[in-house]
Amino acid sequence: MPTGNAPILSASGLCAELGGRPVLEDIDLTLRRGEVLVVLGPSGCGKSTLLRLLGGLIAPGSGRVLLAGHPPRPGRGSATVFQNYRLLPWKSVIDNVVFALPEVPPTQARLRAAEVLGLVGLSRVSDAFPAQLSGGMRQRVALARALAPRPEVILMDEPFSAIDAQAREIMQGELLRLTRAVGGPGVVFVTHSVDEALILGTHVLLLSPRPGRILRRIAPPDWQGDPMAHPQFAPLRRQLWEELKESVLNDPNSDFHRAAL
Amino acid sequence: MTRAPDSRTPPLAALDPRRAGGVRGDALLTAGLRLGFLALILLVWAGIARVAPPGLFASPIAVAEAGWRMAGEGRLLPALGASLTVYLGGTLIAVIFGAGLGFAMGMWRMLGRTIDVYVMALAATPRVAFIPLIIVALGLGVQAKLVVVFLGAVMPVILNAYAGVRAADPELLEMARATGAGRARILRHVILPGAMPYLLTGIRIGATIGLINTIVAELYTAIAGLGGLLALYGSRFRMAEYLAVVVVLAVIGGTMTETLRLIEKRLLRWRDG
Repeated sequence: MPTGNAPILSASGLCAELGGRPVLEDIDLTLRRGEVLVVLGPSGCGKSTLLRLLGGLIAPGSGRVLLAGHPPRPGRGSATVFQNYRLLPWKSVIDNVVFALPEVPPTQARLRAAEVLGLVGLSRVSDAFPAQLSGGMRQRVALARALAPRPEVILMDEPFSAIDAQAREIMQGELLRLTRAVGGPGVVFVTHSVDEALILGTHVLLLSPRPGRILRRIAPPDWQGDPMAHPQFAPLRRQLWEELKESVLNDPNSDFHRAAL
Repeated sequence: MTRAPDSRTPPLAALDPRRAGGVRGDALLTAGLRLGFLALILLVWAGIARVAPPGLFASPIAVAEAGWRMAGEGRLLPALGASLTVYLGGTLIAVIFGAGLGFAMGMWRMLGRTIDVYVMALAATPRVAFIPLIIVALGLGVQAKLVVVFLGAVMPVILNAYAGVRAADPELLEMARATGAGRARILRHVILPGAMPYLLTGIRIGATIGLINTIVAELYTAIAGLGGLLALYGSRFRMAEYLAVVVVLAVIGGTMTETLRLIEKRLLRWRDG
């Protein structure tokens, strides 16, 4: 994988507030093409806010983000996949994908949409409405919509947490295959699942409870096949899980704070 | 967060061709039952006509004969034409104006917040109260009648279009913004389609009030149209002719509602796939 190239996305000293209360503190990160940066943390640690900052949907309180050398702007070089698909229910599958190509002429946009639907294995249902699809299929449409504009970075906000376990495992494999197939965009993947973080991540950032700070950075090894069967998987998983649990137990705002138990 | 995605739904169940036959069978059964119920209504009607004192009611057959006679004498069709012109014209203007104003109120929050209480107050005022004012301003002709129908039909259209824009899903708006869509694109592809179910409900309610106001207008301004015939035959106790006009009105109302329902089904077919 081309990891020796320059970062396409970087953030330094990133801080954010929501309603006057700090949500994120001093986040530094870099992402290169072909990498999957997993942001792992407990609920409410500002993971979604971080994605909004990286996609240019909101501006940081301080610090800065650079995407391909410029401050990020929505739809310019980045695409987002949300947890609950967010498909337009009144548009067919293919038109949902076309919607993500506002600046492409209609005929070409349809061709491109058909192409990415083929990539995610949904050519057969391109004229169906989202209400006719299962959760896993809807999330694949959302993934196709994100791939269509050939973004440099795909921002994914717990994209597989709403679909069943089997579909999730298939989608994780698909994601790794697809991000390599389209010329390797960088992926920032937010999750609260330690397993998912280790399976998908080339890099993992562990965030503290709110306000989110980076507690630890790790680079899981190249698993080569089934990650769970790799001798390093279990120890790494235990280590990350212990650290995540500690941070939650020590968080006075958590339902699971030591004093409360 | 709010919509629980159901991943257990069998994929493409709704595309299964076997279900199409079942749907058609259901439609046939419904049509049959409705015709049966119509026969029942006619029977009860005929029964009441038989026991009612002569001159106060008319049997279905007498009504049908009266309707046929009126049509033959060239009295029914011109009245029907006059009423439909006022009804459809007033309602159409109400839909165009109401949708425009309602959407504008939803898009420009300041405008909406400023005038929504007044629109609601006007919607709650019996519009019949304005008829003398309308007559003073516009006389007794077609314009006055159009305004009476318009005023009745427009309120639910405005309020529902407004509610539809305000109900736009913030998650879909954020998704659209993340694709780089601008205001016009978001309006056209996200906000307006999302408001469509609300608007169509508003139009259906508006069309019902529009028909009522058509008759009210024809009774209160220059007596004309089907409303005029109602007044004429009603005051002379010509019950067969009177009821023939009532039946025509029921058919107009039913046709309108059914047409709007079909349009709604077609436009909103994405809802259940």
